[in-house]
Amino acid sequence: MLTSSPDSARILLIESDPQESVRLRHFLEHQSRLEIQWVADAQSLEEGAQFLNQLEVDAVLLDANSLSEPNAETLIAVHRLSNEVPVIVLASPRTEEFARQLVQMGAEASILKRIEDGDELSCALRAALDRARHQAEFESERAFLGTLLENIPDRIYFKDEQSRFIRINRALMERFGLSRPEDAYGKTDADFFTPERARETLLDEQMVMITGQPILNKVESENLQDGSFGWCLTTKLPLRNRRGRIIGTCGISREITSLKQMEAALETERNLLRAVIDHLPDHIFLKDFEGRYVLDNVAHQRWLGARAQADVAGRTAFDFFPEETAMRFREADEPVLRTGEPLLNFEERSVDAAGQSRWALVTKVPWRADDGRILGLVCMKRNITEQKLAEAKLKQANLELAASREEVLSAMAELQAAHTQLREMQQQLIEAEKMKLIGRVTAGIAHEVKNPLAIVKMGLEFWRQQPAPDESCQLVLREMQDAVNRADNVILGLLDFSKPSRLETRRENLNAMIHRALGSVRVEMRAPVEIVPQLDPHLPLLALDAEKMNQVLVNLFTNSIHAMSEGGTLGIRTYTEQLTGVGQNIAGQKSESFRIGQSIAVLEIEDTGHGIPEDKLSKIFEPFFTTKPTGKGTGLGLSVVKTIVDLHGATISIRNRIGGGAIATLMFPL
Amino acid sequence: MSPMSSPKRILIVDDESGFTRLLKLTLEKTGRYIVREENDGTRAWSTASEFRPEIIFLDIVMPEIDGGDVAQQIRADSALRHIPIVFLTAIVAEQETRSTIGGFPFLAKPVGLAALMECIEQHTAPGSVE
Repeated sequence: MLTSSPDSARILLIESDPQESVRLRHFLEHQSRLEIQWVADAQSLEEGAQFLNQLEVDAVLLDANSLSEPNAETLIAVHRLSNEVPVIVLASPRTEEFARQLVQMGAEASILKRIEDGDELSCALRAALDRARHQAEFESERAFLGTLLENIPDRIYFKDEQSRFIRINRALMERFGLSRPEDAYGKTDADFFTPERARETLLDEQMVMITGQPILNKVESENLQDGSFGWCLTTKLPLRNRRGRIIGTCGISREITSLKQMEAALETERNLLRAVIDHLPDHIFLKDFEGRYVLDNVAHQRWLGARAQADVAGRTAFDFFPEETAMRFREADEPVLRTGEPLLNFEERSVDAAGQSRWALVTKVPWRADDGRILGLVCMKRNITEQKLAEAKLKQANLELAASREEVLSAMAELQAAHTQLREMQQQLIEAEKMKLIGRVTAGIAHEVKNPLAIVKMGLEFWRQQPAPDESCQLVLREMQDAVNRADNVILGLLDFSKPSRLETRRENLNAMIHRALGSVRVEMRAPVEIVPQLDPHLPLLALDAEKMNQVLVNLFTNSIHAMSEGGTLGIRTYTEQLTGVGQNIAGQKSESFRIGQSIAVLEIEDTGHGIPEDKLSKIFEPFFTTKPTGKGTGLGLSVVKTIVDLHGATISIRNRIGGGAIATLMFPL
Repeated sequence: MSPMSSPKRILIVDDESGFTRLLKLTLEKTGRYIVREENDGTRAWSTASEFRPEIIFLDIVMPEIDGGDVAQQIRADSALRHIPIVFLTAIVAEQETRSTIGGFPFLAKPVGLAALMECIEQHTAPGSVE
C-alpha cells in the first residue's frame, strides 16, 4: 500500500528527453509546494514498468513524447500502469490526442507541456495523489469490513426498512444453512425463524427505526424453522444513510448457547448446593477475614434470629451475640486464620439468641483464594446439646450401675462364700454325724460279734489240743477256723471303714510313698508282675496323711496284683497338669472338686489284669462289694480307699483299659 | 520254756463267762498255766489280791465297771502294781495291737492260742518260781 504524507510525493518520471527531464525536475522542485522525491527516471514505458515493480512510487509522470508508438499495446500498458499508481501524462500538441486516449484508458490527467505552469501540474499531481490515497483508504476499509464480515463468528446482518436482509455475513449465512449470502437478500426473519421469533425481532427493529435508539446486548432465544434452538446476545442498531436518515437496521448477534447452558448448569448446581446447605440442620457459614458473615444457611440464620441471608451478610458475631461470646468465637477463629490449620470437631459451648445454652461440634477450615491466600473461614457447627446431655446422663447412669454392680457382685460373692461355707459345714456335719453313727453301730456290732467269735475260736483251740483227733475231725476244725477268721476279717474291715476320719496331713513325697507301698505288696505276688514306674521327679510335695495314704496305695496295688494272677505289668505314673476342661479327665468325677485351669497332681495305676465287668464298675466303691471269690476279699477295701481319698480333697476313678486290665486315676489338688 | 517249770498264774477278767471258761480250759490243757476266771469286773481287784496272778488279761467293755478303771485300781495297789496287765478286747482290730491302750498292751478278740501264749511269755518272767 502506498503511504506518504499529503505534502510529499515519490515520483517516477518517464522521459526519454534528458533536457526535458532536467527541466521538469527543476520546475517541480521549485514551483510545486510539494516535497518531491525522485524515485527514478525511466527512458521508456517498459523501463518505468520495471521500476514500478521494484520501488514504492506515489505517482508516475509520463511524457507522451517518450512513448514510441501510440498503438493499442501502448494503451494497454498504460492502462495496467494506471491501475497501480496514478499516471499523469504530459502532452505536447503533437501528442495531445494520444494523451486524451491515455486518460480514457485510466491515466489521471493529461497536461499540455506547452501551457504548463506550476499550478496546473502541481494541482494535477496533488489531486492525483489525494485520489490515490482516498482510493487506497477505501480499499483498505472495504478489505477490513470484508475480512470482518467473512471471518467473525458473530452473525451480522443489514436490513432495509421492511426488515429485509440486504447483507449478511458468512456466520449468519451458515446459521441459515445457505451456500451464498445473496440467497438471503430480500428475505426476512419470517423466512428462517419461527413466526413468534420473527414477530419479536420485527417489532424490535421497528422500535429501533422509530426511536433511533439501539437495542444493546439483548439475550434472545433463537428458534429456527429447522427446529434448531440456541441462545444469542443481540445488538440492533439503526442503519442511516449519508444524510442521517434511517434506512434500515443492522445487527450483530453472538451465539451464547453454551454459555447459557453453562449458566443454567451453574444455576442448577448453585440451587442444589443452596438447597443442600439450607436443608442441613447443621449451621454452615462463611466469614471473611474480618469476621463478617459472607454466606450462611437457613439453620444458621434461624439460630442468629435472622430472617434471610441479607440480614446476616456483612455483619459480625458482635452484632448478634453478647460481646463476651463474640470474643470467644473470634478467639477460636484466630488460629485458623493465622496458621491455615483447620480446627476439626471442636466442642464449643455457646448461648443462642434466646439465651439457651448449647453445645456444638465445630469445624473451621480456612477459606482460601485461588492463590492460596486465606480469605476467611468456612465453619460448620452441629448441635450436640442433646447428645451432651444424654452422654452426661449415661455417664451418671453408668457410674451408678457400676457402683450397684459392684455392690451386687460383692454381696453375691459374700453370699456365695457363705453358701459354700454353709454347705461345707453341713457336709462336714452330716459326714461327721454319719460316721459317728456308723462308728457307734460298727463298734457295737464288732464287740457283740467278736466276743462269740472269741469263744468259738478259743473252743477250736481247745479241741485242737485234744490228743490225736482223727483226720476228718482236724478238717472240720480247720474249716471252722477259716470261718472264724473270715468273720473276724469282715468285722475288722467294718471297723476300718467306720473309724473316725480325721487326717493328720504333712507335706509328703507321693513318689517315696509309692515305693514304700510297693515294697510291702511285693510279698503278695504269686505270679511274675513287671512293675513299670514313671514317676515325675519334680512332683511337688502333697498334703497327705501318710498312714492312710499308704493304706490306699497298698489296697490299690494289691487289687492290681490280685487281678494279674497269671502275671502282667503294673504301670505307675505320677505327673502334674493343668485342667483344661476339654475332653477331660474330670468327667464323671466330683467335678466341683476342681476348677478349670487348676493345677493338679495325678497318680495313675494301671494293670493288665482281668479288669472289672462293665456292669459292676458303678458299684466298686460301695461297701461289701467285691469281685473276688467268696472269702478272698471283705468288699470294704475300695470303699475305705474312696473315703480316705475324699478326705484328702482328692478324687479317684477306676475304669477298664481298652487293651484289658484296669486303670485307677487319682487327682490331688496342688 | 521247760515243762518242769511251775505253771504260771493267770487271771482273766471278762464278763463273757463262756469265753473265760474256754480260755481257762485251753490254757490249762497245755499244763503250763493256772487260770483264774473273774466274770465280775468289780471283784477283779479283790480276786487279784487273793489269787496273786503273774499276768492279768482284762476285758475293757464290761457292765458295772470299765476295764480301764479296773487297771487303775490294780495299779493303785502297791502289792499288785508290778503285775503286767494286757487288755483283751473286742473293740479294737488286730492291726492295732502293736500300740497300747492307756499305756497297756492289748490283744484283740478273737485271739488264738499261739498269740496268747506269746503274749504271756513276753510279759512274764521266764520260768518264774512262785
